[in-house]
Amino acid sequence: MITATNLNKHFKVYETKKGMMGSLASLFSAKHTLVKAVDDISFSIGEGEFVGYIGPNGAGKSTTIKMLSGILHPTSGSVAVGGLSPQKNRKDNARRIGIVFGQRTQLWWDLPLRDSFEILKAMYKVNDKDYNSFLKLYDDMLDIGKFIETPVRKLSLGQRMRGDLAAAMIHNPDVLFLDEPTIGLDVVAKTGIRAFLKELNENEKKTVLLTTHDMDDIEQLCRRVIVINHGRIILDGTLEEMRETIGLPSIMEVQYTSKPEVAAAAPLGLERLQWEDSKVIIHYDRSILSAPQLLKEVSSWGEPVDIQMKEPDIEDIIQKIY
Amino acid sequence: MKLYFILISGSLKSRMQYKMNFIFSMVSYGMIMAVDFIMLAAILRRFDDVKGWDLYEVGLLYSISSIAISLYRVIGAEVHDFERYMVNGEFDSLLIRPVSPLFLLLTRNIDLSRIGGAIQGLIIIAISVAGLMKTGKATLLLIAYLPVAVLTGLIICFAVGVLTAALAFWTEKIKDFQTFTLYAPFTAANYPMNIYPGLLKIIFFTVIPVAFMNYVPVMYLLQKGGEWWYLITPAAVAGVFLTFSLIMWHIGIKHYHSTGS
Amino acid sequence: MIYWLLFQKSFLRNMQYRLAHLINNAASAIFGFVFMAVWVGVLTGKESGSPYSIQDMVHYIGTGQVFLWLTVFLTAGLNIQNGVRSGAITMELARPVHYFSYVTVQEAGRIAYNLLFRSIPIALVYVLTVGFYVPENAVSLLYIFISAILAIFISLNLTYLVGISSIWTTEISWAHFVLITLLFGFGGQLVPIDLLPKPIYSIVALTPFPCVLYYPVMMYLEKAAPHVLLIQASWAAALTMISFWVTNIARSKIEIQGG
Repeated sequence: MITATNLNKHFKVYETKKGMMGSLASLFSAKHTLVKAVDDISFSIGEGEFVGYIGPNGAGKSTTIKMLSGILHPTSGSVAVGGLSPQKNRKDNARRIGIVFGQRTQLWWDLPLRDSFEILKAMYKVNDKDYNSFLKLYDDMLDIGKFIETPVRKLSLGQRMRGDLAAAMIHNPDVLFLDEPTIGLDVVAKTGIRAFLKELNENEKKTVLLTTHDMDDIEQLCRRVIVINHGRIILDGTLEEMRETIGLPSIMEVQYTSKPEVAAAAPLGLERLQWEDSKVIIHYDRSILSAPQLLKEVSSWGEPVDIQMKEPDIEDIIQKIY
Repeated sequence: MKLYFILISGSLKSRMQYKMNFIFSMVSYGMIMAVDFIMLAAILRRFDDVKGWDLYEVGLLYSISSIAISLYRVIGAEVHDFERYMVNGEFDSLLIRPVSPLFLLLTRNIDLSRIGGAIQGLIIIAISVAGLMKTGKATLLLIAYLPVAVLTGLIICFAVGVLTAALAFWTEKIKDFQTFTLYAPFTAANYPMNIYPGLLKIIFFTVIPVAFMNYVPVMYLLQKGGEWWYLITPAAVAGVFLTFSLIMWHIGIKHYHSTGS
Repeated sequence: MIYWLLFQKSFLRNMQYRLAHLINNAASAIFGFVFMAVWVGVLTGKESGSPYSIQDMVHYIGTGQVFLWLTVFLTAGLNIQNGVRSGAITMELARPVHYFSYVTVQEAGRIAYNLLFRSIPIALVYVLTVGFYVPENAVSLLYIFISAILAIFISLNLTYLVGISSIWTTEISWAHFVLITLLFGFGGQLVPIDLLPKPIYSIVALTPFPCVLYYPVMMYLEKAAPHVLLIQASWAAALTMISFWVTNIARSKIEIQGG
């Protein structure tokens, strides 16, 4: 359904100067550094797959998605969506993909959600019958009906994201590109969005490519994970395969009344300790060492006053892959 | 075309949420042009003419030019404001649609408050035509040609606007360029071209061909010289210039495809 | 001193964009050329019937373009409306500095910058092309200086009033446009106001707008009597009182609403 073959995207980063003369001057200046945003990537995603595309900021995730949607053209190599080149057939490609950028809404800010839908309906030439079944389906799945008459600017972040997701599906595309769809949402909203995406993939058989910083998104949704760093793929496999490589990295922060005494024999699964006075940050692998076990262990080190569980950074995960 | 109206009615609806503001800005845009013209009238009342053009004759030039640029600001509001799309990276969201980005830009917003300027221009046209009728200079052909002049003016202005916007694909910011390409030439076109020194005149006949929207045809229609084909050239110039600017726009998009981030 | 510091900071902030501004000066000069061409076209062969020669009008327009950057092209609403929109105005009004001085001093820093990087370069363009008037009398320099300072002060007040009105209206872009239009038209940017028809002239002369552009330009061209300084001074005093008064009303409105 989606293929990338020896895909490269290089940017020339010019030394920019301020003002009009500056920008004119930089037009002709040869001073630049070459940034390989995407560096010889190849992958193939089959119909109905749900793939997590992860990596740190600036790793090349968005650049890849922009090439798949025809916004950017590759420096070399090629991409294809459903057999078509998004570069050569940008408009046809646009009809068969749905895109959601979590950071930027595609909806008309001052208008009720329904108006956004109707505008998109006209833009994608969706007929009335399909449009009505769309409305019904997404009211069931996302509960859109409750706020469809509300202007977008008055929606909560979670509602707006649901609106954005529905808007991306209005022309019933086979492929969905989601760029950070859960960013900034609270736990309840995230859960709702995930349930929807799961349903979309399982019942509607949509192919989904998801970029995210949230490891829970990956754990709960993706059967396959592609990890990229500095523009290169460093892991492409099933969730299980990734788990074998990196386990279930987790972090526990324990605040003690005084500086604790750590037992010399560390339990299996405990990977790294960071000290901040009487606080200890514990990196451990949840697939080997469960949280209750670790709790028992840390309370033997001293007298804990506060315990917090944290999600690991994507950077930590990348380090484990290398 | 149907799609245009569906999309445009969406943006109109969002505009109308701020009605008071809309009315005030419409009145003030109209007022700017009015004061400007009253000043011109004050000069010509006292000194009769500028290089052989009396108030009503200059009034024709003035109103064609100001209606053209006002209508451009109405329909091309987002083209005019295009640097925003480059600076904020909003241009991406136009490229994910199955419709041409320029078309989408045109539908994203129309700035009806700028109609104030066009209404002002219409009033000046009416005054000028009435004045010219008294002296017998207003022929039927002249009156019939006015809509054509406004349309060619709008096309030339739109083409200049798109051309300037296309610069943003390379330079990001275009506000500084617009003063040169739009504001200054269209202000200059308020007056007859024969008052300008050679270099400026050459620019207004070639690089930014504002002379063709009003000066060239009106000169012939007021029997100040020229040939019948002075009425045809403006449309031809407008067509060529529009084609050129659309080509540059597409080259700009190509450039964006390969360099945008 | 805090006001001097604000003045400097604002000057330096504008320095960053001087290259873009220099380009803009060329456009500003071109606008001047257009209006000069209009006058040359109007007056050719008719100089005898006019109080001003072609040379006079070229100087008048040129000087006007130079003064525009000092007295007319101020920041819309002095950016007061931004503070109102974001709510920062509550803080700013509560600061231990006088609010009116706080905003006007920053704008003054920008005007000082404009003098060096806009007005003088534009004047140089005219020196090299169509000629630029040089005052002959040494005493005139003092009058010109005072007239310019008063003009700037009056314009700062008018712009301040537009800005502070945002507390009631939130949006001021149209009010700004109206002000600029009045400053252009009644300020004599294209037509010296004494050339306007008598009834219009007598109305215009009663407004503060000629004080901003027309009087200082005429003073520079040594065509105005010293007594116009008195007119300017009276308007400056009156507008300052209005500004202070409106600031107090705004302050109490904001204190009641709690921002």
